[in-house]
Amino acid sequence: MSIKDRLRNAAKGSIGPADNDSRFLLDVHSRALPGRQTMQQYDDDDEVDLAIVGAGAGGSVLAQRLARKGWRIVVIEAGPFWDPDKDWVSDEAGSHGLYWTGKRIIGGADPIELGKNNSGHGVGGSMVHYAGYTPRFHPSDLETFTRDGVGADWPIRYEDLLPHYERVERELPVSGQNWPWGHPHSYPFSPHPVSEAANVVWRGAEQLGIGMRVGPVGIVNGTFGNRPHCIYRGYCLQGCKVNAKASPLVTHLPDALAHSVEIRSDCMAARIELDESGRARGVVYLSEPGGAERLQRAKFVAVAGYSIETPRLLLASTSARFPHGLCNDHDVVGRYVMVQGATQTAGRWPEELRMYKAPPPQVSSEDYYETDTSRGFARGFSIQTVSPLPIGWAEHVLADGHWGRAMREYMRDYNHWATVGVLNELLAHPDNRITLADEVDAYGLPVARMDYSLTENDKANEAYSTKVITDILKAGGAQDVLTIHRYAHLIGGARMGSSPGTSVVDANQRSWAVPNLFLADGSVCPTQGSANPALTIMALASRLAERMADGSAMSDDPEQRAGPFRARQPVG
Amino acid sequence: MPSRSDDNAIDKDPIDKDPIDKGPIDKDKGEHLPHLRADGAPPRPSWLPRQRRGITPQMIGRYPDYDVLENADTWDEMTRGVVLARLDPPGPLRFFEPSEEATLRAFCDVTTGQDEDPRVPVAESVDAKLADGKLDGFQYADMPDDRDTWHLVLAGLDESAHERFRTGFGQCRLDEQEQLVRDFAAGRLSGGSWNELNVSRAWSVCMRAILSGFYSHPWAWNEIGFGGPAYPRGYMRTGALNTTEPSESRGATQEDPVGTVRRESEEFPG
Ligand SMILES: Cc1cc2nc3c(=O)[nH]c(=O)nc-3n(C[C@H](O)[C@H](O)[C@H](O)COP(=O)(O)OP(=O)(O)OC[C@H]3O[C@@H](n4cnc5c(N)ncnc54)[C@H](O)[C@@H]3O)c2cc1C
Ligand code: SF4
Repeated sequence: MSIKDRLRNAAKGSIGPADNDSRFLLDVHSRALPGRQTMQQYDDDDEVDLAIVGAGAGGSVLAQRLARKGWRIVVIEAGPFWDPDKDWVSDEAGSHGLYWTGKRIIGGADPIELGKNNSGHGVGGSMVHYAGYTPRFHPSDLETFTRDGVGADWPIRYEDLLPHYERVERELPVSGQNWPWGHPHSYPFSPHPVSEAANVVWRGAEQLGIGMRVGPVGIVNGTFGNRPHCIYRGYCLQGCKVNAKASPLVTHLPDALAHSVEIRSDCMAARIELDESGRARGVVYLSEPGGAERLQRAKFVAVAGYSIETPRLLLASTSARFPHGLCNDHDVVGRYVMVQGATQTAGRWPEELRMYKAPPPQVSSEDYYETDTSRGFARGFSIQTVSPLPIGWAEHVLADGHWGRAMREYMRDYNHWATVGVLNELLAHPDNRITLADEVDAYGLPVARMDYSLTENDKANEAYSTKVITDILKAGGAQDVLTIHRYAHLIGGARMGSSPGTSVVDANQRSWAVPNLFLADGSVCPTQGSANPALTIMALASRLAERMADGSAMSDDPEQRAGPFRARQPVG
Repeated sequence: MPSRSDDNAIDKDPIDKDPIDKGPIDKDKGEHLPHLRADGAPPRPSWLPRQRRGITPQMIGRYPDYDVLENADTWDEMTRGVVLARLDPPGPLRFFEPSEEATLRAFCDVTTGQDEDPRVPVAESVDAKLADGKLDGFQYADMPDDRDTWHLVLAGLDESAHERFRTGFGQCRLDEQEQLVRDFAAGRLSGGSWNELNVSRAWSVCMRAILSGFYSHPWAWNEIGFGGPAYPRGYMRTGALNTTEPSESRGATQEDPVGTVRRESEEFPG
């Protein structure tokens, strides 16, 4: 262990980020952001330094960082500005409003169900209702084509993200055991206690010699400024009413508001408008369905609407110069969108485990993360415990083929079950893509269509990993198992790369085609590995902000644009 | 609140003589679980203890002395409002036509195994979701809008019932309805309205709404022993096996109380 690691371990739980005061800017007694009352307001005609579309993981980090450097920023967010005390409930069905439920068409051979399972809508973005797992990507994830001949390379390396991983981990803050996989590292907070439902999975893994670790989760273990300890109520996917779980709403936006960022909520961006020289003039948006179009003028524009809405906005921004959508000269916008296989298997024990207690994310393993050719497919998967609440559990039971009286019997047995899931790395494919459908939404904007089909490699990975988690449960003594095959975690759709023919943005996340347009969300990732994406999306935005602040992101030097690692990205 | 009608009362005997195993069901061994039973079907609910406290659908459950609603005063106000509203007497249907009602109710009953009162009002919950347009945010490219899917499914069930049993779905016997639903779940129904749908996907569209309606109801939480909303109170006892919060109650067991008392006094003398 290096001296730096040792110091970090000794200081666990006591060091906060130096350049982000969000944790102190929250109210102890209520969850609404105090800074909202005194929020800066800009005029549409006031040319701000930066207009950001989307107040989610990427957009919020970018805003907070650059606001600290004195940039004048407006964030345009389609969803509401949450007051968690009033708007959120500890209830599955009652949380419908947290999700992006505007219509999307899903097609392809293996259509991906969206809605509550895949994206958010409102200030804080999808992390408001994400589970809370915050692993890093492995170094190999950024070079899968070079190493394994599949997927695509990134134009940057793990080392470029490393300082930003460490910084964001201090901000969330992440708690977990020392991490032995990928690039070994430790976490700023010690691991949470483990519930019995996760323990039985752990013991099964131990029997098979599979290593498990507690965490990593962006959930406070201890107190963190004015954010309290987690109360183990298990409603992380319905929004944390406690402020224990990290989301930009509590980790970055309070500090952003204190540094003059305006968050214009309930405003839907309709397109990016260009001036005669081909630069973005600003963002055209609507503050209500059927309302008049408004244009927020800005020197720079960053889009951070996530993997479906970012491509949708670009594709809808047509002009004489870009008849097929903004930045779409090479027909790359919307392509290479990815999800992860997220099969879950539940096992049954004679004792009551009551998996609804404690946060759903608890213990995980990355033993199967890297390629092992003996398994018969490239790349791998991670293993993580989860814990569905009753409606989620009913969907699980149904997926195993039980309805009516049989379903009721399994449902009554709820308290005896523990659930473990996988995240399979699924490979980037050009036909897995976002396009515009013929229908329009309430704003009159064309809705997105997402086509998805699995490759043979994907199917082999899914089948293998399902057997591994089933074996873990059986080794731990499970008497019966139930399985649901599902998908989670969108990524890609406007990837970064070293050349305009294969990617939408350069190594600085600046679009190849429009000089003052950046993408700042999960859509830029060329691969996803088997790690949950939120931490990486935040780290990327943190890196982008650093480079926008010092001007290096605006560099026209071909070497700078291609990035420190010449990305090999096959097309087709 | 609906009360349980006595002429439909289930067997009060807490230990069912199971027709397959010819003996009492051992819950610890999972003998009630369809996968572990010779016929792959669940036992009759009469093996369950009778609910003493709190309402459950059909008054069956595994936590006879548990009522999640007794904790309602510890929930935050917004959550309490949302959950308790589900106990209001259901109003008339707004989305579905009167001509669809019998089929809708029968379909919701069969898919959730509800054959008598008290019933969770699933049909009303589906109706409200569709009437309010609170859809799930995606539509399969080879399917109509979810609202049209529901109309087509109910029409399709009726058409198939007429074809097979010469009567409407709502008028079929339970075993006939179950047979049709089994075929629907397996994507095996075709002709007429079914031809306008991808039948397997239609099944998942309908079941999403039905499961959400049933398992968002506190009576269903009583049945399965779910702790319910726990904010601001939280949970403290996530540790060792079989530990419960003060507000939770243990599931019923079939152990012989005399034996337990004797064994415990041997294990923990004095
Ligand atoms: C149920 C669930 C569980 C998850 N669990 C995990 C987990 O455990 N760990 C993990 O790492 N990740 C998890 N994720 C994924 C994670 O939340 C996302 O990957 C991440 O938040 C994406 O960040 P983003 O910045 O790209 O987009 P988002 O955070 O989704 O932000 C995009 C924002 O842009 C807004 N927007 C979009 N289009 C427009 C427009 N035209 N105009 C104005 N605003 C717009 C949206 O409303 C949204 O607020 C989970 C996701 C879900 C749904
Ligand atoms: S379990 Fe903890 S982190 Fe999750 S919602 Fe509850 S308090 Fe928040």
